[in-house]
Amino acid sequence: MKLAGNDILIQSLIEEGVEYIFGYPGGASLHIYDAIFNQKEMQHILVRHEQGATHAADGYARATGKPGVVMLTSGPGATNAITGIATAFMDSIPMIVISGQVQSHLIGTDAFQETDMIGVSRPIVKHSFTVDHQSNIAKIIKEAFYIATSGRQGPVVIDVPKDLTNPVDLFEYKYPSEVNIRSYNPPIEPEDSQIDRAIEAMINSKQPVIYAGGGTISSNASKELFELNSYINAPITNTLMGLGVYPASNKNFLGMLGMHGTYQANMAMHNADLIIAIGARFDDRITNTPEKFAPNAQIIHFDVDHSSVSKIIEADIAVFGQVKNSLQAINSKLKLRSSEINDSNLDAWRKQIEQWKEMHGLDHDLYKNNSDDGPILPQAVVQHIYHASNGDAFVTSDVGQHQMFAAQYYHFDEPRKWINSGGLGTMGFGLPAAMGVKLAYPDEEVICITGEGSIQMCIQELSTCTQYKLPIKIFNINNLALGMVKQWQDMNYDGRHSSISYEDSLPDFSKLVESYGHVGIKITKNSQLKAGIEEAMSIKDKLVFVDIYVDPNEHVYPMLVAPDGSLKDMWLGKGEKT
Amino acid sequence: MIEERQLTLIMENKPGALVRVVGLFHQRGYNIESLHVEPINNFKPYKFIEDELNTKFSEGEISRLEIKTTVDDPLMRQILRQINKLIDVIAVSGNEGTYLKGVLRDENLL
Ligand SMILES: Cc1ncc(C[n+]2csc(CCOP(=O)(O)OP(=O)(O)O)c2C)c(N)n1
Ligand SMILES: [Mg+2]
Repeated sequence: MKLAGNDILIQSLIEEGVEYIFGYPGGASLHIYDAIFNQKEMQHILVRHEQGATHAADGYARATGKPGVVMLTSGPGATNAITGIATAFMDSIPMIVISGQVQSHLIGTDAFQETDMIGVSRPIVKHSFTVDHQSNIAKIIKEAFYIATSGRQGPVVIDVPKDLTNPVDLFEYKYPSEVNIRSYNPPIEPEDSQIDRAIEAMINSKQPVIYAGGGTISSNASKELFELNSYINAPITNTLMGLGVYPASNKNFLGMLGMHGTYQANMAMHNADLIIAIGARFDDRITNTPEKFAPNAQIIHFDVDHSSVSKIIEADIAVFGQVKNSLQAINSKLKLRSSEINDSNLDAWRKQIEQWKEMHGLDHDLYKNNSDDGPILPQAVVQHIYHASNGDAFVTSDVGQHQMFAAQYYHFDEPRKWINSGGLGTMGFGLPAAMGVKLAYPDEEVICITGEGSIQMCIQELSTCTQYKLPIKIFNINNLALGMVKQWQDMNYDGRHSSISYEDSLPDFSKLVESYGHVGIKITKNSQLKAGIEEAMSIKDKLVFVDIYVDPNEHVYPMLVAPDGSLKDMWLGKGEKT
Repeated sequence: MIEERQLTLIMENKPGALVRVVGLFHQRGYNIESLHVEPINNFKPYKFIEDELNTKFSEGEISRLEIKTTVDDPLMRQILRQINKLIDVIAVSGNEGTYLKGVLRDENLL
């Protein structure tokens, strides 16, 4: 079959099973958009800003496990997407970003809307391609999808000069059935010897902790993780990126660890004799001061990425491979050796952890207080949302205190339901990410827990939600300030609140969303909270924006003491330290 | 121990491949003391790579890159691992060993 470059590009995406393209057109992508117009298999979602396109594609990818696809024009279209590409890169999310480019003969001449997209995006992509000829387009797309979705996943940029998508010149098209890149061989199966050493360590440990992160979700290994822990029954904590990979309602679950992790999770990590790290990367929000990290622990590290292992914390046993394959390998051996595991070995350890939890665990019953004597607590808002959504909604979030409260108080029992920008910490992520999730799962409840600062960073996407009828629920935890920055200023700068409030310039969010055709609900009192949230959840066919005025002075606790602190050094409340 | 070390890479001679390697040094805060790159025409010394990857190199397809840098052992290991992750890199050697086909071998093969 002979096709023009623009049709080859679009047919190749169809071959890859793409359902949605998130994008925004312009001069350099006009030919491509004409090819999009002429097909029916994929739907193009017209966002209001290219950052929104990348976050929506990212949300789609996190919820489904399939790569999100973004279409951009050259120059400003491409640069507007950079924040979203970096967000996906930091969290290892598979994404294909196609950017139009000026015509080949104009490259390097400072032509209108010319930006070196390959150069600008280089540090924040897994790989990138420049299309050099129409006959290579199909092969490049095939390779791009393979790279984005294998090994440690990530975004791949494909830059396409406009002349190579012209509708006139025709070329032979056949989508490749196989892909093989000789220089690219991500590890899949682990080494047997390492598996045996890991099992030995697990059997002998008296104070083990499993620390599972986002890599376990990327690898779709939550079942395998659950099976592993059915043999060893160890206490388990998840990173911010890993929430949901192990059921939060399970008795072994300690909550999140790290900067705003639970007391029992951080204490268990600090005092462990064995840390079983699975698809996690010992980020500085987890380790606190690396030299003081878990002084008595042996470390087993499961990861697909060599460069993540022993980067910050030296691993004693390193198991390289796809996390899913590695866990399958260990499970099949552990199963046969289960008689060697003496569950009562961990009794004292479990008792110790239970005590820590009783001493300083989070209070999950704050929502029961509906008295109007005090202000609304943001923690109670999340608890109400959790109960009103039966704990099984998709929840996207932005960045700040509200994000941490959501992570602490919404209990995720399944992977891919908690969708947030952990690595880059991108304000503005929540709303467009929720659009991507809602498109993927139109019949599921999709909630965005945001703050009045973050929501304004991509608020233009409220219009996209109107156009495509996306009835997501937005809960705006409104503390009238950049709360997380304010908290740091309270704690480290004697309360000098430099540039963290907007005084009286916030919009009336209810009126704002109503002008887009959505429903606005405003809550200012505890006594309105339960009914207001339940009302929002009962509206199924419209986007509802619930603006909730909470205590502007609340802080997120626990919080690791920094600098120079270890995981056992935490602030537990205002002026209260461990 | 901090000392001058040499890294040797065999990589696809594709547009942008060299700048990815150099860019990585900058992004991760490693220093380059010297750098030498040239296309490979004599494939004999690399026969073991061809066998391993089940491929045949042809004229102009691959390059050899030598980089000198002054670092300590853990950083050297991290640099090797980061370079090994670049899609266009076929093999990379440092004094710790060689990454080939994503697997570390305990000798300097390049
Ligand atoms: C794009 C971007 N700019 C700046 C920051 C730094 N930052 C982190 S949290 C935060 C405050 C967020 O305010 P809001 O969304 O109202 O959330 P709150 O902390 O008040 O719950 C800021 C400015 C960021 N994470 N992202
Ligand atoms: Mg705020």
